Amino acid sequence: MLKLGLGKYRSIVILITLFIVFDIGVLAMTFVISRQLTADAISINLAGQHRYLVQKLAKTALLIDQDATQGTFDSSGKSSLNEVKDLIATADRFNAIIATFDGGAKLPDMTEELALTPSQDTQAAALFALVKDLWEPINAQVQALNQPKDGHRPDVGPLLQVLIPNNLNLLSTSHILTSRLEALSAAKAAKLRAVQMAGMAAALVNFAFILYSFLGQLRKSDSAVERAQRETEDILRTTQEGLFLLDPEFRMGSQTSQALSKILGVEAKGGENFLDLLKPLVTPKTYDTTKEYIELLLRHDVKEKLVASLNPLDCIEISAVRANGALESRFLQIRFNRVLQAEKVTHLLVTANDITRRVKLERELKDSERRVQDQMGMMVHILQADPRQLQDFLRHASDGLNQINEDLRTASPTTGVSTPRIDAMLRIAHRLKGDAAALNLEAVSQSMHAFESVLQELRAQTRRSSEDLLPVAVRVKGLYAEVNAIQDVIARIGQVRGVVSVEPPKPAHDPEIAAQPFVRQWRGFAQQLAKRLGKQVELTYQGLDVDGLSSQLREAVNTSVNQFIRNAVVHGVEAPADRKKRGKSESGHLSVYVSDQGDGTIELSFRDDGRGINPEKIRLAAVRKGRISPEVAKGLDARALTLMIFEPGLSTRDEVDEDAGRGVGLDAVKEMISRLGGRIRIGTTSGEYCHFRVQLPVKAEPNDTNMPDRIKEVA
Amino acid sequence: MDEQQLRVFIDIVSQYFEKQTGKAPDVGSPYLGDASSLPIYDFTGVIGISGERQGCVYVTAHRDLLRQLLLHVGESDVSDNNLSDLVGEVANTISGNARRYFGPDFMISVPVVVSGNARAIQVPRSVKAYILPLRWHKFEAALVVSLQ
Repeated sequence: MLKLGLGKYRSIVILITLFIVFDIGVLAMTFVISRQLTADAISINLAGQHRYLVQKLAKTALLIDQDATQGTFDSSGKSSLNEVKDLIATADRFNAIIATFDGGAKLPDMTEELALTPSQDTQAAALFALVKDLWEPINAQVQALNQPKDGHRPDVGPLLQVLIPNNLNLLSTSHILTSRLEALSAAKAAKLRAVQMAGMAAALVNFAFILYSFLGQLRKSDSAVERAQRETEDILRTTQEGLFLLDPEFRMGSQTSQALSKILGVEAKGGENFLDLLKPLVTPKTYDTTKEYIELLLRHDVKEKLVASLNPLDCIEISAVRANGALESRFLQIRFNRVLQAEKVTHLLVTANDITRRVKLERELKDSERRVQDQMGMMVHILQADPRQLQDFLRHASDGLNQINEDLRTASPTTGVSTPRIDAMLRIAHRLKGDAAALNLEAVSQSMHAFESVLQELRAQTRRSSEDLLPVAVRVKGLYAEVNAIQDVIARIGQVRGVVSVEPPKPAHDPEIAAQPFVRQWRGFAQQLAKRLGKQVELTYQGLDVDGLSSQLREAVNTSVNQFIRNAVVHGVEAPADRKKRGKSESGHLSVYVSDQGDGTIELSFRDDGRGINPEKIRLAAVRKGRISPEVAKGLDARALTLMIFEPGLSTRDEVDEDAGRGVGLDAVKEMISRLGGRIRIGTTSGEYCHFRVQLPVKAEPNDTNMPDRIKEVA
Repeated sequence: MDEQQLRVFIDIVSQYFEKQTGKAPDVGSPYLGDASSLPIYDFTGVIGISGERQGCVYVTAHRDLLRQLLLHVGESDVSDNNLSDLVGEVANTISGNARRYFGPDFMISVPVVVSGNARAIQVPRSVKAYILPLRWHKFEAALVVSLQ
């Protein structure tokens, strides 16, 4: 089957072809009709001639007769001869028309055959037959005159005898025949016109259909184009990547994504030369390599995947200056992919991404890994060192470095640093070197040693310019950094210690002490509170006889334990069903220990196995109560948030009742403990436990010198 | 940053003064300062640094020094605009020469001039900066190098 590949235009082409066919049909019809009408007019004309010929014949015959009667013939008889000739010619004409209508002859003045003859219609044929019948005797008499002799008068008497009675009849019959032929012609013409009109109507309908179909298709394809365009625009407007097509002349395509300018940091317009745009952003070398790389990609004989690793724009750093002079660096990744048509590279699709965040994160991760490695090495020594000695060293180091820096700052612009000042610096460096060595901080010790050498060199110079102090400043900066690093490590260790509290050794259990009045009272209070809140708790006690403590300590321990119980039962211990879901026993457990630390302090340890402290709840409560701004809250770590429970007025409970909600319990405990010179620490793991540890100094009451003996340690 | 690299900055500034006026500035004793206590005089030309090291280098000078410097080079218009342009030019000289010296590892910006307001200058807060005091015809200026 022949396929023209008309595609979506197939129906339109068919319709247009039909339209043309209809038009040709109508034209042909018009032509046929006009020819038919012409042909019919000849027939009608011939029929009409019959009437005229009959009248002419009668007139001529009567004239000849009149001439004969009145004797007006000329002597030669020529005129009457001419009239007879005329009579005969008229009759011949009549006969010729009859013959023509009969289809036998053709008139000399006719160019074509007759289209309409009386034989085509019964009525016309009858009329024509009548005409012929009426004509026949007349014609015979006319033909009898056909042989006139010169000098003889023609005798038209017999002719008139047949002519006069039939003349009118013949005339009227001819007239009726003519009218009949006219009617036949008109009917035929009407029929042809109807066919013509139908053809024209069909052509018009077809045209209307073409119009409808064409417009419909046009609208459909317009809307498809619009939709595709809108989708492209949406993509280009919304995508976070810089997108555009690059032609072999390095010119960017007319459409670029909206994000492109933002990513590149310069206004990027379609049609621009990409290399011109790139030039100010990269080094000349990168620029040249990029040009070569693009040219390579545009070549058909090079494999795209093979050259992809050569892309010089895979990660480029570009920088922009902010108003305050700070240089803002951004990292871009610009990638190129071939666009193929018939296996030829026509364009490159360029994708630009801002990968600053990723690169910075990678760098931070590397830095952080390096720092962690450094710190781990340091941590081993720091953990072995005596904390107090370490703190002393750090304080001395910081003071010493500040002193040296101050000496540098106040040195005379003309004479520089004096020898005594250098000696003082040397003393500081030497002492710090010794202290660092004693603490096993080898790196610091070595740096101090190197610093001593720099100072010794400086001291040896007879003339010391300010520029000679540059090495000193550089070393001091390095030492500051090392001291800061140690402080960072200590802070980190402290952070870990603060949150995950190290369990103290448990005092042994003494059933007698566990049943003492204070413990009974705590147990009763815990049960009562738990009952009210629909919870279950058990309280166990191990350690010293609380009754045996000084009244001040007893009161402090009792007040603290009561507040801890309230805090634990209200906030910490979950409802029995919740505890079961979490795989805990239905009954919450509160453990209280009081032990003598042997260094003049006692430690109260209170631990519950409830849900622990949720730093996020504290963060929300602190913001809700307007204690801190949301921005500050966001920056606080878990440790700082946990410590906020000791601040006045900060309860995580939404409603105030007799049990909790005013946020005044723990801050009062803290205040009391610090008033007694003690300290409080807290350890918690969300969902697992909360642990308070209170250290209180044992102070002998003035009127109770036996106090130490009353501290009964259960061994 | 070691003393050698610090010296590069000092040399660039010294050479600028010497070339323009025939007299290099006296360089004072270098010392260290926290981000909150850095010297900022009337006009400051800042160049940002990124790449392997992040931070900035700035030159800051008293109005009188810049005015005197302008007069020395035969410029009688000592309006603030001109003083600002001048400190920008010094910073620009530092930027151009430092770029040549340090190569592509240091990305050095074009200078930005800040008048007066110390808070507008962004320096790394976690490290101490080198402060290199300068004195020229008894007028004070300073070169500050603050890099992480």
